[in-house]
Amino acid sequence: MSTQAVLLITSAVFCLGIYGILVRRNAIGVLLSIELILNAAAVNFVLFGSARANVHAHAFALFIIALAACEAVVALAIILALSRSANTVSVDRINLLKG
Amino acid sequence: MHADVSHAEAVRLLVNTRLFWIPLLPLIAFVILILIGRRLGSLAPWLSVAALASAAGLTFSIAKPVFDGVTLSQRWDWLSTTNPAWSIGFAVDGLSWLMLFVVTVIGTMIQLYSIGYMHGDKRFSRFFAYLSLFCASMLGLVMADHFLLLFMCWELVGVCSYLLISFWFEKPAAAAAGRKAFLTTRVGDVGLLLGIFLLYTLVGDLRFLHLDIIRASLIESGKGGYLTLISALIFFGAVGKSAQIPLHVWLPDAMEGPTSVSALIHAATMVAAGVYLVARSFALFTPDSLQIVLVLGLVTHLLAATVALTMTDIKRVLAYSTLSQLGLMMVAMGLEARTAAMFHLYAHAFFKALMFLGAGSVIHAAHTQELGELGGLLKRMPWTGGLFLAAALSMCGLPFLSGFWSKDAILLAARESEPVVYWLLVLGATMTCCYVLRLWFRCFLGPEAQASAAHGGHGKHKSAHHASMVGAPSRADTSSPPRSHGAPGSVAHESPAIMVGPMAVLGIGALIAGLAGSPWMGNPLYHLLGDHHAHEHLDIPLLFMTAGILAVGGGLAWVVGFKRRNLLPEPLRPIGRLAYNLAAHKYYFDELYAFAIIRPFLSLTRSLSIFDGRVVDGAVNGAGRIGWFLGQWEERFDRTIVDGIVNGMGAVAQALGGAGRRLQTGYIQQYLLVVIIAAVTLSVLVQL
Repeated sequence: MSTQAVLLITSAVFCLGIYGILVRRNAIGVLLSIELILNAAAVNFVLFGSARANVHAHAFALFIIALAACEAVVALAIILALSRSANTVSVDRINLLKG
Repeated sequence: MHADVSHAEAVRLLVNTRLFWIPLLPLIAFVILILIGRRLGSLAPWLSVAALASAAGLTFSIAKPVFDGVTLSQRWDWLSTTNPAWSIGFAVDGLSWLMLFVVTVIGTMIQLYSIGYMHGDKRFSRFFAYLSLFCASMLGLVMADHFLLLFMCWELVGVCSYLLISFWFEKPAAAAAGRKAFLTTRVGDVGLLLGIFLLYTLVGDLRFLHLDIIRASLIESGKGGYLTLISALIFFGAVGKSAQIPLHVWLPDAMEGPTSVSALIHAATMVAAGVYLVARSFALFTPDSLQIVLVLGLVTHLLAATVALTMTDIKRVLAYSTLSQLGLMMVAMGLEARTAAMFHLYAHAFFKALMFLGAGSVIHAAHTQELGELGGLLKRMPWTGGLFLAAALSMCGLPFLSGFWSKDAILLAARESEPVVYWLLVLGATMTCCYVLRLWFRCFLGPEAQASAAHGGHGKHKSAHHASMVGAPSRADTSSPPRSHGAPGSVAHESPAIMVGPMAVLGIGALIAGLAGSPWMGNPLYHLLGDHHAHEHLDIPLLFMTAGILAVGGGLAWVVGFKRRNLLPEPLRPIGRLAYNLAAHKYYFDELYAFAIIRPFLSLTRSLSIFDGRVVDGAVNGAGRIGWFLGQWEERFDRTIVDGIVNGMGAVAQALGGAGRRLQTGYIQQYLLVVIIAAVTLSVLVQL
């Protein structure tokens, strides 16, 4: 599988992730989309790491996985708190940041 | 004290410290009385009397060195300046001592008399407070060793005079008389003040002890002409205080005050202060200014005597008589007979004070002071009548009484220098005898009149319509104290002992005080005043002349004044009536002043008031209106432009904020969309 093909796939996944963030109403869906973006980036790290024979890039991939795990924990906690206090997990019904 | 100080010096130093207390004692009495006099009740006058009597005692205690020719003095720096010209103080020489004697002795007697006279007055203690203040200022005046100190006391006695003339200020006439006295004397005071200014500008020294040196230095430096001007100005001050023509108009009206005030202030002491001032600054007088003194004195002497002949109010007769006698003293000054003038002042103080007290006693008893309503009082009031007669005869110059010696001294001086003046003085003396004996005859002889007798229309001189300076009636009614002793029409009775006693003391003075200046006693008064030209013997021709004057004057008084017979031959009667009316209207001085000074002055002030109301007020109001108008515009500018800018800025910020607010939807996905679009756009742009 050529580098270019992999890059296309990861770009597609990344774009899917962006799209998912922008259009998903469900907060869990938004979280999943973020995971997609992170994974696209991680795959790119691994791809360039093996192409350039650079071990630091692999380390970054692992780092991103750990980060994603942490992020999922925090995000799920927020969502849980949100569902309790606002009784919803729908993003477009939460506009506390409105000026 | 050093051991080498001689005995005389030691005595002098000891004596000098007493000077200070002479005016201070009455002043302390004044302060106490004005503060707590009401609470002292009937003790109040005794405090005042005690203070003045102690001052009299002090005066006697310093007599010996003064008679030895020593000038006692006590000085201190004033206003913490070390310039010797401003160190003021007291000095007592013979002249001052004589005045001290007159003021303290006569003042004590009159205060004693006032205890009886003012009994029951509602401002009893206030009266004695004023009297004490007056005595303190008068004593300060005669002891002052500095023109400035003299002027201060001069004004103080003026204030006291004002306060005491208008003591019964509930009477409009008394209030008007006080005001008139104050304002008229103020005219003279301006002259005195100008004289003092001029003297200070020229020499820079105002001490009386230096006047001889000042005179010498001024003449030496060729400024002798200024002496005439200075002395004329000083004399002008004396004209105001001693009520000489043309500033005499206040004194007759001053009779509105209590009679004992008239006796003390307006007969014996304050009005004599002018004569004293001339005597004190005699060194400054030049022949020219003495001429002025002589002429004014003579005019006053004669005119006032003629007015006194026509007055029908006891106190006014006495007031014009005082004017006349003060004129006589001024004549003596003008003749350079300073000692004779002071001698007459001294003798006059006794008999004129006694006459006023006698008049007060009559008014006290009879409740009227109109001659037409009086008569036959001698039986009822033998003491008053007798003492009044003694004073009258002394004033007429009955040989060997006080007035005889002092008047003779003046007549002698006139005979030696100016025969014309001498004969005019003889005429004046005749009139004096005439009016004073007429007064006595009509008060004490003749049919007994009831106090409430019907007001006789004849010869009743109503001065109410033209005597006042400001148009208020001058004599609303009699000056007797505003209280009633018994029912109207009650029979007059002798006054109480507290009034008769002091009168008796003054009576002794009126009889024998003049011996101090007589050749029989070796002229101690002349020596006291440092005059060594006293006459050694009695002048026999003058004795006959005086007796003749008394006979003629007394005869006229009996026939014309008392029996009311017209001696003029028929053809001369219109002229006589004209002259009588002229004198009875006091030569129209009041009318003249009202016409020439007061009316123009009042109309000037009135037009000034209109000017003030129209122009000045108009300008002020106009300025205010312009300011208001400008303020309106400024307010509008403020409100529209300045406020507009401020509010506009706020509105802009609000609008921007409102617009920015819309961007903030709170939908985080929209924010992210913006970020992504921006990132994409930027990366595209970077690629390009």
